[in-house]
Amino acid sequence: MKPFDYSVPGSLDEATRAGARPATRFIAGGTTLVDLMKLEVETPEHLVDLNPLGERDSSLAGVSDLPTGGLRLGALARMSDIAWDARVKERYPVLSQALMLAASGQLRNMASMAGNLLQRTRCPYFRDTATPCNKREPGSGCSALRGYNRSHAILGTSEHCIATHPSDPAVALVALGATVHVRGAGAQPGSERTIPIDDLHVLPGTHPERETVLQPGEVITAIDIPPLPFARRSLYLKIRDRASYAFALASAAVALDVSNGTIRAARVALGGVATKPWRSTAAERALVGKRATAAAFRSAAEAALSGAVPRTDNAFKIELAKRTLVRALTEVSA
Amino acid sequence: MLLAFHPTHWDPSWAEYVRAYNRVISNAKSHGARLLSVVGAGAWQMLVFDDASLDFPAACIDAGPIAERYGVVDGPAVFLIDPDGRVAWRHTAGSSPPSPNDVADALAETLPADAGEHLGMWSRRQFVATTLAATLAVALTRRIARASPASTATRPTTATSTNAVTLRVNGRDLSLDVEPRVTLLDALREYLGITGPKKGCDHGQCGACTVHVNGRRILSCLTFAVMQQGKEITTIEGLAASAGAKGDALHPMQQAFIDHDGFQCGYCTSGQVMSAAAVLREPWGPTDDDVREAMSGNICRCGAYPGIVAAIQSVRKSSATDQGGRR
Repeated sequence: MKPFDYSVPGSLDEATRAGARPATRFIAGGTTLVDLMKLEVETPEHLVDLNPLGERDSSLAGVSDLPTGGLRLGALARMSDIAWDARVKERYPVLSQALMLAASGQLRNMASMAGNLLQRTRCPYFRDTATPCNKREPGSGCSALRGYNRSHAILGTSEHCIATHPSDPAVALVALGATVHVRGAGAQPGSERTIPIDDLHVLPGTHPERETVLQPGEVITAIDIPPLPFARRSLYLKIRDRASYAFALASAAVALDVSNGTIRAARVALGGVATKPWRSTAAERALVGKRATAAAFRSAAEAALSGAVPRTDNAFKIELAKRTLVRALTEVSA
Repeated sequence: MLLAFHPTHWDPSWAEYVRAYNRVISNAKSHGARLLSVVGAGAWQMLVFDDASLDFPAACIDAGPIAERYGVVDGPAVFLIDPDGRVAWRHTAGSSPPSPNDVADALAETLPADAGEHLGMWSRRQFVATTLAATLAVALTRRIARASPASTATRPTTATSTNAVTLRVNGRDLSLDVEPRVTLLDALREYLGITGPKKGCDHGQCGACTVHVNGRRILSCLTFAVMQQGKEITTIEGLAASAGAKGDALHPMQQAFIDHDGFQCGYCTSGQVMSAAAVLREPWGPTDDDVREAMSGNICRCGAYPGIVAAIQSVRKSSATDQGGRR
């Protein structure tokens, strides 16, 4: 691992100032960053530890009720804290399930919620500094396009990158329409802005090295989930190679508002198949106003995957994602 | 004053030395003498002796100048220093500490048997000896605070700045100088000699390095030591004591792994046990499937999973019975 210097900011504003320096990374849970630093995929010269801020200010690390009836998740809250939280389990089961199906017990105790949103892809070529990768080394080429790409994305890809976004919770949060609070916008320490979570991640396009709209120094301080009464019946279904402790081959986050057999509202997002947490408004449109039947679920799945681009080894994901979505919708409406 | 030296490494087969030293400690007391230190670096620091004041870090052989002054190059060595600061007796031969009887004889010869009756009174000689001991202890503490890694493999190849870090491991504050890039796992294993946490994959995928931080199970390979200051770190070495076990008693989960064949080669076991002990504090369901899911972050290449599940379930059931009994 490359040497770096380590600092603990005294305040959020100090953190945003320190974080705006070149070659600087924030560290929270460290579960992605330390791993990638060992591989020398990440080579920061300065590491700014955000954890002590959460120890001093519990709003950064806890869960609180919003006046609207929603929930505010502190950016430094650990995945396990959110997964086990009674309010999250009651109001947003899809999020609790997505968290519990992610990583392992130890990792969930370490990883922060904001860090989870910002975790890097598991693309094996991104993690291997011996191979070209546009995300790691802009302009060097994409090894996955013509390499072994069974785990790669079929939605939101470009000819420069087909890396899958690995997060489960982010998929649930996209379905729930969460908002991300950010501090230090425009490198101004005190300034704040809010970003709809669907706009946080960007498609790879010609610049796969850009993964989010966050600017240097910007720190996520909280994730707000709006009130969504019908999300009390929501579900996260994750399909993977092992029964536990594996990244998704395909996953679906769904919430349905069904009244007298008719779908009044729907939320659909897919994971494991796209370059960013993938909200499918096409699938939602296909569901609203329809009877909650297998045929409606199937046509929603067709709509969700209509733009899918398969590669050599991952064409199976198209049908897998469709069936995953159909099963999730079937189970949540049962 | 008695002064003991040891090689910095610790061999589990030396566990019997603790008993021997405890006899020496009790003998020394009756002669008004004190054993200054038997604790070396690393795992030595984890040992608990009868004399609670015996927590000077180390007279380990790697301590350099001090060991050199006493001519110690290898193996355990014990010196009896009389109140005038002269070496009255020494044991430097062999690969084990002296027999407690030999030490008792030496004490009897050097210090009159009735010295013990004056314990608590300070003669000038005792004062000199105590001051000498304290000075030595401070010197030793500094040496250990700057202890270099036990293994050369992880020694940095370029000179970079280090941070003075104090880690609270198994109830003890341990000081070390580490670079920020040293993981908690490497700090424990290579700098402090606490080798219970194992390095399996070193990438957060196998669970062999599982320790508790503030009571929660985490992977020590995926966090930096500098980030864990002020936290209560518990490794397998301190698990039993953290649950209130006395002496050599095992933690119920350790005993259950033995009773239910929860391991074969044993490499993943400390991580499995640490994870399992924490799982019972987490709000999991009671079924075998719940246990399998809760434990999925701990990989066992030998495939001892059925025994591991049985061990955890047996502890869960017996602790549920205990709680029922208290109600």
